[in-house]
Amino acid sequence: MGKTVVVGVGEFAVSNDPGEVIKTFALGSCVAVIFLHKPTRTVGLIHVALPESSISPDIVRDRPGYFVDTGIPAILKKMAACATPGANLTQGMMVKIAGGANVLDTNNTFNIGKRNVLALKKILWPLGMGPVAEDVGGSISRTVSVSVETGKIALSSPTKGVWEL
Amino acid sequence: MNRQEKQAAVREAINKVPLISSAAARLLELSGESEHGIVDIVNIVKYDAVLTSQILKVVNSAAFARRTEVYSIDHAVSLLGEDMVVGIAMSEAAALLFDKKLEGYAAEAGSLWRHDLKTAIAAKIIAGYARTKVNGDLAFTCGLLHDLGKGVLSDFLRNTPEKIRRAMEEKKVPDYAAAERAILGIDHAEAGYELSLNWNLPAPLPQAIRFHHQPALIDEALKPLLYTIHLADIVAMMSGVGTGSDDLQYTLDTAYEMYIPLSGNELAMVMLGVEQEFSKAAAVFLGKEEEASE
Repeated sequence: MGKTVVVGVGEFAVSNDPGEVIKTFALGSCVAVIFLHKPTRTVGLIHVALPESSISPDIVRDRPGYFVDTGIPAILKKMAACATPGANLTQGMMVKIAGGANVLDTNNTFNIGKRNVLALKKILWPLGMGPVAEDVGGSISRTVSVSVETGKIALSSPTKGVWEL
Repeated sequence: MNRQEKQAAVREAINKVPLISSAAARLLELSGESEHGIVDIVNIVKYDAVLTSQILKVVNSAAFARRTEVYSIDHAVSLLGEDMVVGIAMSEAAALLFDKKLEGYAAEAGSLWRHDLKTAIAAKIIAGYARTKVNGDLAFTCGLLHDLGKGVLSDFLRNTPEKIRRAMEEKKVPDYAAAERAILGIDHAEAGYELSLNWNLPAPLPQAIRFHHQPALIDEALKPLLYTIHLADIVAMMSGVGTGSDDLQYTLDTAYEMYIPLSGNELAMVMLGVEQEFSKAAAVFLGKEEEASE
């Protein structure tokens, strides 16, 4: 068994070590964004909690990954640093997302999961990194793990078992 | 066993749960009183040797990174604050329920404590947004206790999580509490309510436990508090700290808007505040920086 890197709320991890697995637990309304850059075999995972950093600019300094609008640039910067120098990350990048759940019969205010997903797409599409796969919404708290070696993403929940994204 | 027999067995189990210490009960009572201070808390704690030693252990733990040892309970209580002391008292007094593996909810040991602690923190923060004043200390205490019934029900719900998930997907039951009632004739809120009566907890704690999923059913005067607990429970679940198979499987009562007018940005601020406070509390209670749910 290789090393498992655990990503907490508002954190992100990047790796090109094939022995590693990146994992984040119980997303709730948060969303995990997984970046798979095949040409450099670099994998990134970020666990974002809220759509916009404008509500609390102070937090951004310590934990940019907490918000969609600051988290995505931060993880891409880290991926660029981790990948081969000079590599073009926009070429061959595959993005997948999971999470964004909510309680039953929610209203717009409490539908943070949906707002997170919309904010993510708004920032990813102009970068040419629109998600190629997603498992979002519903009332299911997902745990996500990604193998750096294979790029395979496993989702799990207490009652649904394990499935692949 | 038919449903009536199961219900009777659950009630028997509720009656067998050990009583909480008198210090813990008195601390819970105090949180609902509007006029009280640190001195009152110290006066309760100092007569309970086990609680005193636990509080001194926590305040001298690595999480507080103090250079000098704290020996006085007065000093320790003032450093920790009321919420932390109540949290320590309850984590000791109801450890049998809080720390058990919730097999009936497919949840690991400690899940109930983490969820209740996060709900308590959220309740105190949300209380600040209520139209009419909600006592933040009382909201914290209600949050801490709201799901205790799951600690009892779990043993009777073994092998049911997947069955309940299918029933919910097929819309045969409206939420998880309804599924509990369909199987056992009693849900976790009612079980917690009966337990709180056995423990002689003062009003409005039993009522808050009983109606946290149905705040519309309580007397008007208690609605601001109940909607606070209702939303806090949902915020904890949304943040990924639930209790396993029932996570997010409840409905939001949108009538909360009449009592707690939260905007989208305010809710985001609440969630941010809860995360920060929970991280600090988890460092004390769980002995490490909180890292999502493991």
